[in-house]
Amino acid sequence: MKPLSLYIHIPFCARKCAYCDFASWPGREADWGRYFDEIEAEIRLWSEETDFGLLSEQYSIATVFIGGGTPTLVDAACLEGVLDACRGIAPFEPDAEITVEGNPGTLTPEKLAVCRRAGVNRLSLGAQSFDDGLLKALGRIHTAAQIKQAVAMARDAGFDNLNLDLMYALPGQEMAQWRDTLDAAVALGVDHISAYSLIVEPGTPMAARVASGAATVPDDDAVNAMQREAISRLSAAGYERYEISNYAKPGFECRHNLTYWRRGDYLGLGCAAHSLLRGRRFHNPDALEDYLSGMRRLDEVALTRQDAMEETLMLSTRTARGLDLAAWARDFGAPFNQGRERALARLEAGGLIEAGDGFLRLTTRGMEVQDAVVLELMGETV
Amino acid sequence: MKYDQSRIRNFCIIAHIDHGKSTLADRILEKTGVMQLRDMTDQVLDSMELERERGITIKSKAVRMPYRAKDGVEYELNLIDTPGHVDFTYEVSRALAACEGAVLVVDASQGIEAQTLANVYMALDHDLEIRPVINKIDLPSAQPEVVRQEIEDEIGIDCEGCPLVSAKQGVGIEDVLEDIVNNIPAPQDDIDAPLQALIFDSYYDNYRGAISSVRVKAGSVKVGDRIRMMAGKCEFDVTEVGAYLPLGYSPRESLNAGEVGYIAASIKDIADIHVGDTITLAANPAAEPLPGYKPVLPMVYCGIYPADGADYESLRDALEKLRLNDAALSYEPETSVALGYGFRCGFLGLLHMEIIQQRLEREFDLDLVTTAPSVVYKVIKTDGETVMIDNPTNLPPVQEIDWMEEPMVDAQVITPQDYVGAIMELCQDKRGTFRDMKYIEGGRVLLKYDLPLNEVIYDFFDQLKSRTRGYASFDYELKGYERSDLVKLDMLLNGEQCDALSIIVHRDRAYPRGRSIAEKLKEAIPRQLFEIPIQAAIGGKVIARETVKALRKDVLAKCYGGDISRKKKLLEKQKEGKKRMRQVGSVSVPSEAFMAVLKMD
Repeated sequence: MKPLSLYIHIPFCARKCAYCDFASWPGREADWGRYFDEIEAEIRLWSEETDFGLLSEQYSIATVFIGGGTPTLVDAACLEGVLDACRGIAPFEPDAEITVEGNPGTLTPEKLAVCRRAGVNRLSLGAQSFDDGLLKALGRIHTAAQIKQAVAMARDAGFDNLNLDLMYALPGQEMAQWRDTLDAAVALGVDHISAYSLIVEPGTPMAARVASGAATVPDDDAVNAMQREAISRLSAAGYERYEISNYAKPGFECRHNLTYWRRGDYLGLGCAAHSLLRGRRFHNPDALEDYLSGMRRLDEVALTRQDAMEETLMLSTRTARGLDLAAWARDFGAPFNQGRERALARLEAGGLIEAGDGFLRLTTRGMEVQDAVVLELMGETV
Repeated sequence: MKYDQSRIRNFCIIAHIDHGKSTLADRILEKTGVMQLRDMTDQVLDSMELERERGITIKSKAVRMPYRAKDGVEYELNLIDTPGHVDFTYEVSRALAACEGAVLVVDASQGIEAQTLANVYMALDHDLEIRPVINKIDLPSAQPEVVRQEIEDEIGIDCEGCPLVSAKQGVGIEDVLEDIVNNIPAPQDDIDAPLQALIFDSYYDNYRGAISSVRVKAGSVKVGDRIRMMAGKCEFDVTEVGAYLPLGYSPRESLNAGEVGYIAASIKDIADIHVGDTITLAANPAAEPLPGYKPVLPMVYCGIYPADGADYESLRDALEKLRLNDAALSYEPETSVALGYGFRCGFLGLLHMEIIQQRLEREFDLDLVTTAPSVVYKVIKTDGETVMIDNPTNLPPVQEIDWMEEPMVDAQVITPQDYVGAIMELCQDKRGTFRDMKYIEGGRVLLKYDLPLNEVIYDFFDQLKSRTRGYASFDYELKGYERSDLVKLDMLLNGEQCDALSIIVHRDRAYPRGRSIAEKLKEAIPRQLFEIPIQAAIGGKVIARETVKALRKDVLAKCYGGDISRKKKLLEKQKEGKKRMRQVGSVSVPSEAFMAVLKMD
């Protein structure tokens, strides 16, 4: 049986954050019921025979990630219902990693208890910052104090695998504030920390603020310095950087996210959810109305060898483990180095990559410019 | 209409830019009825999109119009439209040579301007009868009386009773026509002499082959005649002769002395037709060609490369098509280490070069990379051999060069007195040698300088325009070669020489040019994974250096929820961007960077 990961999208939140351009809508409570009906219908569809055959005969479920939006906003019983339904797609592995994403401002002991009962064993909290001023500027609905309460609440409910999402490169953010946030996260003793550099997405209130000059994002050097600060503080505290933006204590790497980076099979359920199944990519519509009206599996393509090579290169080099040279040669029928000798030599001499023990990986400096390194390695031959 | 020279009037219209030349031409066409109102687009004679947009005429054109004058006689008017730029001075002179008179259009509010004078002088050189017309009398600021006086005082032409018109509103057009009929002399050519037809333009017609636009100065030519190009030294059989209508051809049995029209002779290559050449009959040739023929030689060369190497064939086809219509354009394949396969193209001047580039891009939808323009240098090698170099890359090694010579021009600037100082300073800056200064009518000054052509093609026009607020007019003629202390300036990117960026420059200019190009390249080349040193060097000695710093940050932080489409799109975009860049060693150089050499501070 091959491992399969499930992603389930909950496109609802209490309030839209200033930087957010994900498929997520505040209000719309009237749609919640219909939405869960649709998701369960979609799950039932995948539980039966499709053009991929019967998934339950080929896969076991290794990870589930309920993301959003704010999944912890809705009635936890709905999440439980969805998770139960998922067992129809394929059997869950005994140690399946089941994550729910949550906003510290929406947790209650009751909701957490229901999640635990439903089998959820990992909680990912959108903390973003421990500075109340920055939290407010981001449009977050919670305070730093609430993050601490939420972590305590989660531990009390029995969650022994906790992640905090943090953001840096925020408008007006000083290095000192970022240090304090890192230290606060470490002090809480969480098991996993994601540290994302803010991307100002067009069309968001944040983008408007930046465009009008009301907000200024730190320059590239400042952003790199913040990232390096995260690396040094977190590694000193026992968190290993295993992906560009992800740090974990040993054994707490997020297996679900590793599936994406290693191009394992995953099935996305719900609005705006993306799938990679047996070499085919497709996704559900971004608009809630479209999803509710039954639109599914858009832009479906069978990936070519070329696509697979490019994806492997750009995804695997995000991870500390790097690109598996033996797997590359096996999957694509030619050694990775072939035709890339000069680019590799330059990148290695320039301190951007290092090779050894059968893997090609980016250095800390290389990861700062990962897109450009990948482009360089695509070369003419890919 | 029966052939009768006394009823023919051959004329052109001359004017300062924007004084309404094209509009007046349109109205004349309309008035004589050869164009119906419904067929009219603005500026009928400027048929190329570019011509309309820039308000300049690139090719000469001729139109025949019947006109029944007030004296009851039907006349045949031939309007020959002339190009309006210094690059095409020779073409203009040939078109003027085909006329007996010129209608001089002067704006009723602007009065006489620099080009007005330059045009008048040129027309006078060809002994044309100049008929002033004051245009734009409908403008509130019009001062026709003042302008009339100005013309009389400054040019010395009698303006008594000159037509006052508004071409825009169609006022006074008939007066212009009557004035032409009554005052421009009819041709007095000898129809019984051996054929002499002056070629003033050539172009390509898909059905008729290369066509000559001619003014018959003596004799006549008809279908079936075997003609000889007197300078071109080739012969053809005439398949069609006739006159031009605005929208097409009007074939005739013959073209006779005094008439303007076209000759088609199944000529495949336009290069066989030389503007300024004389056509005669093979059976009964004229003893002498008409005076004034000069072979047209490209003055300026540059490399034109497809931005995407895959478009090489399309570029070749496009150049071939443009060449059909433009004998002054030359091209031959060349290769560059940095730019791949492309063409070395020769042009009459910078405007001609710009026009060709724009036509390639617009009419053929090509993305181009163009190298800095170069003139043709003469290199005398130590072994005594002389080579002509139009591409800096081909310059022999320094140790093989005895000395070098550069082309010089006779430059003539006409300017209002106030700008004399500014122009002298400019000419000095451009290594010019002062020759002469003359005060002419209307407080204007004629300045003569010897200038190196490579300074003229650099940014002379722009400088002249900005330093004289557009008031000075400029004209030049190739004079010959002069020995000069020239060096090849190379640009090195990350230590590797980029052939497409090399230029030949006077030693005194090398340092500032090198520094300026390095600065421009620094702006044009995006940050990359590694620091890129940019160096300007002469013979291996670095004279200027800039650095493009290494890329600081280029990474997408998050691949959310397994959605890798953003990352893919970003990468596709970057890949596309990289494809549009040229690899010089390990450095990706965007196409615009190659133009950096051209740009001024």
